[in-house]
Amino acid sequence: MKVLLPEEQIDSFKARAAAIAHPHELIVDLLRAIQSHHGWVPDDGVLLTAETLGVLPIEVEEVATFYDKIFRRAVGRRVIHVCDSICCWSTGAEMIIAHLQQSLGIGLGETTADDAFTLLPTCCLGACGDAPAMMIGLTTHGRLTPEKIDETLQRERAAIAAEFAK
Amino acid sequence: MPKLTIDNLEVTVPEGTNVLEAARILDIVIPHFCYHEALGAVGSCRLCAMMFLEGPVKGVQMSCMIKAQDGMVVSSTDPTAVELREHVIEWAMTNHPHDCPVCDEGGECQLQEMTVAGGHGNRRYRGKKATFTNQDLGPFVQQEMNRCITCYRCVRTYRDYCGGTDYGVLGSRNRIFYGRFQEGKLESPFSGNIIDACPTGVLTSKPFRYKTRLWDLQEAPSICPHCSLGCAIVPGGRYREVQRVRAGINRETNGFFICDRGRFGYDHVNHPERPREPRIDGQQATLEAALAAARERLAALVEAHGPDSVAFLGSSRASLEANALLRDWASAYGSTQLVYEAHQGRDYAARTLAAQVGGHARSLGDLRQSDLILLFGADPLAEGPMLALAIRQAVRDGAKVVTIDPRPVVLPCAARHLPLMPGRLPVLLAALGQGDLSAFDAEERALFAPLLDQIKAARRPVLVGGADLLGGKGVAALCSAASALSTTERAVGVMALLGGPNSYGGALLAGDGPGFDTLLDAIQERTVRALVCLESDPFCEAMDPARAQAALGHLEMLVCIDATPSLAAQRADIFLPVRANVEMAGSYINNEGRLQEFLPVIAPGLPIKETGAGNHPPREFFQTTPGSAPVADWWLLAKLLERAADLAALRRTMAKYDERFSMLSVLAAETSGLRLPVKVVLPPVADRELPHADGSDNQVLLATTGPLGSHWLAHLSSPLAATEPRPYVCLHPESAAALGLAPGDRARLTTRFGHCHVEVRLSAQMVNGLVLAPQLWDTALEGLAPGSMHDCRLEKETKA
Amino acid sequence: MNAYPQVLFKNRRPGETVLLPEYEKNGGYQGLRAALQMTPAEVCELVKDSGLRGRGGAGFPTGIKWSFFPAEQPGDKYLVCNGDEMEPGTYKDRQLLLADPHQLVEGMAIAAYALQAGVGYIFLRYAYEDCSQRVERAIEEALAAGFLGENILGSGFDVELHVHRSAGRYILGEETSLLNGLEGRRPNPRSKPPFPAQRGLFGRPTNVNNVETLATVPHILVNGSLWFHSLALNPESAGTKLFGLSGHLNRTECFELPLGITLREVVEDFGAGVRGGKKFKACLPGGASTPYLTAEHMDLMLDFNPLEEVKSRLGTAGVTVFDENTCMVAVTRNLNQFFARESCGWCTPCRDGLATISWLLDRIECGQGTDQDLAMLKDQVRNIRGRSFCALAEGAMGPVEALLRLFEHEIVDHIKQGGCPFKR
Ligand SMILES: Cc1cc2nc3c(=O)[nH]c(=O)nc-3n(C[C@H](O)[C@H](O)[C@H](O)COP(=O)(O)O)c2cc1C
Ligand code: SF4
Ligand code: FES
Repeated sequence: MKVLLPEEQIDSFKARAAAIAHPHELIVDLLRAIQSHHGWVPDDGVLLTAETLGVLPIEVEEVATFYDKIFRRAVGRRVIHVCDSICCWSTGAEMIIAHLQQSLGIGLGETTADDAFTLLPTCCLGACGDAPAMMIGLTTHGRLTPEKIDETLQRERAAIAAEFAK
Repeated sequence: MPKLTIDNLEVTVPEGTNVLEAARILDIVIPHFCYHEALGAVGSCRLCAMMFLEGPVKGVQMSCMIKAQDGMVVSSTDPTAVELREHVIEWAMTNHPHDCPVCDEGGECQLQEMTVAGGHGNRRYRGKKATFTNQDLGPFVQQEMNRCITCYRCVRTYRDYCGGTDYGVLGSRNRIFYGRFQEGKLESPFSGNIIDACPTGVLTSKPFRYKTRLWDLQEAPSICPHCSLGCAIVPGGRYREVQRVRAGINRETNGFFICDRGRFGYDHVNHPERPREPRIDGQQATLEAALAAARERLAALVEAHGPDSVAFLGSSRASLEANALLRDWASAYGSTQLVYEAHQGRDYAARTLAAQVGGHARSLGDLRQSDLILLFGADPLAEGPMLALAIRQAVRDGAKVVTIDPRPVVLPCAARHLPLMPGRLPVLLAALGQGDLSAFDAEERALFAPLLDQIKAARRPVLVGGADLLGGKGVAALCSAASALSTTERAVGVMALLGGPNSYGGALLAGDGPGFDTLLDAIQERTVRALVCLESDPFCEAMDPARAQAALGHLEMLVCIDATPSLAAQRADIFLPVRANVEMAGSYINNEGRLQEFLPVIAPGLPIKETGAGNHPPREFFQTTPGSAPVADWWLLAKLLERAADLAALRRTMAKYDERFSMLSVLAAETSGLRLPVKVVLPPVADRELPHADGSDNQVLLATTGPLGSHWLAHLSSPLAATEPRPYVCLHPESAAALGLAPGDRARLTTRFGHCHVEVRLSAQMVNGLVLAPQLWDTALEGLAPGSMHDCRLEKETKA
Repeated sequence: MNAYPQVLFKNRRPGETVLLPEYEKNGGYQGLRAALQMTPAEVCELVKDSGLRGRGGAGFPTGIKWSFFPAEQPGDKYLVCNGDEMEPGTYKDRQLLLADPHQLVEGMAIAAYALQAGVGYIFLRYAYEDCSQRVERAIEEALAAGFLGENILGSGFDVELHVHRSAGRYILGEETSLLNGLEGRRPNPRSKPPFPAQRGLFGRPTNVNNVETLATVPHILVNGSLWFHSLALNPESAGTKLFGLSGHLNRTECFELPLGITLREVVEDFGAGVRGGKKFKACLPGGASTPYLTAEHMDLMLDFNPLEEVKSRLGTAGVTVFDENTCMVAVTRNLNQFFARESCGWCTPCRDGLATISWLLDRIECGQGTDQDLAMLKDQVRNIRGRSFCALAEGAMGPVEALLRLFEHEIVDHIKQGGCPFKR
């Protein structure tokens, strides 16, 4: 089993929670920390958050299930958020999404068989001037073309392979 | 008091009333979902739209969110408002399935009512509907999420009002899911309220599933028999069976909600072993024969041994009317041996309260408005659960709560806890009343001194006590402390949790008569030779059951009148079956001195059960309904006394000859009841207490009321079986350490009742040096009368 | 292309972020120094005189908002910067934070002083990790230089700033949802009153302003209110504004332009005209919630009041342009899908009404629409507008209402032709 979050980080969250009057304020931070370490937030991540901050599991789950960028289900090593909002749509997002689906061999909401990529639609990424756009992890890629997508996916695949090799 | 005009009608309403409520005063009902009198207004459903024509706000507004103000002119029939309401209903219905014919809510579906009221008849949306996977929420609540219209009422009831911590809102937009983080039993002891709160068939009663279509259900207003608070309930029955209970509305007592013990504790009425036939010496007999036998045998005893050779034991379970007739019966023989509660501590507590509380009595409604609540030896979740919810509401409005108790007291809200030995509770009360804490050491003084300042500063303080731990002396100290701490500006209130739904009524009738302990002495000495038990079980309910059972063995004759398979019913020479309170009309007086009426819901009879064994429809035919012999307790006693069995006439007589019961003549069901007038003065209670162990010894056990399922009636109710705990003891961590015990350990508990295997629980709130154990029926802990103390041995069990 | 005065973008260089030394060299933190010489009330008064209106979409006059704030009330008070920026077509705050984040830090220090709020939160959306890092670096630099922290610049005033990274959802831009989000609760909006100025974050007085609004404040402190008025082309208005261009334009970039600039100048000069030489059909003047403008509005001044006069709004000034081949039913469907998906789920009209509109627009766009669907679309708009709990659904009605007002004939064509007339 992958570790949800390293001990030092849990301790540091515990210390912060103890120092403030409203430990709930750290729920999103802690969920994000778990997600960035573990890739997504399993049930145990919700429980860990509740325990670390001294709040109720249901309070964490209420928040976790509200945000679309907290993943409560397993995702691939890279989450691709492809924008389908108006500026991207008007500059060819439908074609971009079709191309992504084709090159990954999956539909929206799915994860590739090798667990490398999860493809999710997203609302506007704040990259409207660089439409059409997508975000991989926390990095935005704009002015997408099929060629640019192929290049980017290739780079990501290589990076994933390197991570595995480590 | 703002005055406004709604649909051309003028109305003046109290400051702070919202326009929806103002309209309701005029009998104009605006459809609404999210607004609820007890939950308040949040403006989420957008259904209660009205048109504001004149005044400080204009246009279509949500009437629940607007406070009534002078000069407002409002219309509920304005076409824009009507059109909006129609749309809101249509939207709410977008994802709702068309499963009304098979829906468990059919017949009392508020969504259906609002849909009709809102004028939405034809759903135009024909797209896909959202669907959900249901969760198993445990034995009480069935979830059917596809029917959800996202009104947020369940979660506002469960979390905000009841203080539950394991149910919430998940997801967002039109994919909101209400449920637990993970499947499992809802933990709150008030969980059933979400069944009432849900306006449609999402949350329904699991034990009631598939039993009856709601339009076939017989319902009537009633009073909960499970504790002394007198919550309004509406039981429903069919097929000669009580099938469910929902909360009634009484703003002075329970408000709109009830506890799970009250909601799911109805099944004692249907208990398969409930004795339903009269018996003489173990043989089934006709009612006439049994009544005659009882009369003749008692008369013969009186004849031979004098009036005091027959004794009478009333109860807090029986109606006020029956208890009053029992007194008449005793006096008809000239007997002075009349007791109303076999548990002497509870008896004296109730009598002392009735004698001394006077104008300090406070209702649950008052408690919800209080700003300081001090609980002395009172554990609401065990002894009167809805008190816990009343306290929570006060806390939500800023009240402070302190529990002073040898036990850990769990409340659904923040509270301070001060552990104290039970024997010291009256001492502390007296000390607080006198403002002199010198009876306590410096450390204790530091803990208790702030209480005095808090009481002084509070505007509506209430002292709450529990009969089990305080007994008569403690309740006397509670009342004296309240008077002493009252000032001309504000009185200090009192509430005490008593033994049962009619403890107060029994106390009024008992006056300064003997206690059960004296009665046992008389039985032991053979002065008393016969005992009549009215819905009470002296074998089990006495503070010292062992002693009671030994003494009762000397009786020449035992008459038992009961509706449950009690030990007394089994051992009676003459048994007379009576109805449960849902099967008759009658009245109770709750712990606050509030007289309340209940009405019959169903007639008694053996429940019709489809067993699949081919016994339905019946092949044999009877003149009468099987199992329908039980009669109302007051009916039975009137017959015994050879009087007319007419409830109204009985009440008139009681009202005429005893001014304390004068209000019986104007009593009506489904009202908030009538608080007995303050001027009623009672003779002081004879001050004879059972010796209390004082806790100076290290291995002393304090017995207490167990949680939900462990009360007698609750124990007989199968839906509550899931909440009945396995035997356990609770200790302070230091006491446990001294005994080499850790939490979760199995231990062997030895008392003079025998051995029992118990689980060890620890609580830092426990007083140090005491072992706490609950009374649990059908276990070796059943002899532990709440409030009694015993020497005990507790040894760690090594795994066999 | 006219060269207009650059205020917020004066230090901007492509792909770079201005660090403290350069920021200070170009006059940075002079506004804070000036503010600390004044009383808090004087700062509020100056901002009020400047005519600065909120840049977050609603356009509420900033100085007036500040003057409602109980600055004298003792106890905790908070300043919150709204950097949620999730309305499609809006990306100006990102450009500002990437280029020159110290303006925000300085603006927040000034606002905190004016409001006597000791703690500031900068709320940034999930996708703006790049901004979060730059803002955090700017905060560190400012702290080290004594512009933040205790006793800033010897004034006796303390201020601390924190960055909060969100995890998605447009509703968090609504200021009361944002406060719930910061508190770690479900980010549903709160009912007003009480307003955040009375009971905001953790129940304490709180002021919420947009990134651009706060970043503008230091410049007003340095140059005065008259100067700020003079920046606008519309004499009734004040200041420059960041315009993020997008859609079917040849140049889709973010420009700092004077308020009151015409739509024509924005489209033809700064946007370098419609792509592929096509004709301009319509645009969203200020983000996804602002009703469409059409070719007839070309010479209209882009500014708060003039746009309201033509039933639209300046919003966030994210101008998204559509060419003559664009199906406005499809555009509206896309926009509505966004709002329906981002509804928080608290109130019925938004939660279920927007989904109903999505269903109707899907049907119409796909050629299954009927006259009844058109009628239903109208009654949906009529009953959602002004009836929802917060302004999200209100904003969602902008484009749908404009579709019915300006392009009903396109809906009718879809219904008549049993399909989209632009897809052949
Ligand atoms: C649904 C919705 C989304 C909003 N999103 C944002 C946003 O992303 N950024 C922002 O500054 N204001 C947003 N607002 C406006 C804020 O509620 C608030 O008015 C603003 O932050 C105030 O700042 P200002 O006065 O400086 O403009 C939004 C409002 C609504 C109703
Ligand atoms: S309009 Fe209603 S459902 Fe929509 S975002 Fe606002 S409160 Fe939530
Ligand atoms: S609309 Fe796609 S990034 Fe803005």
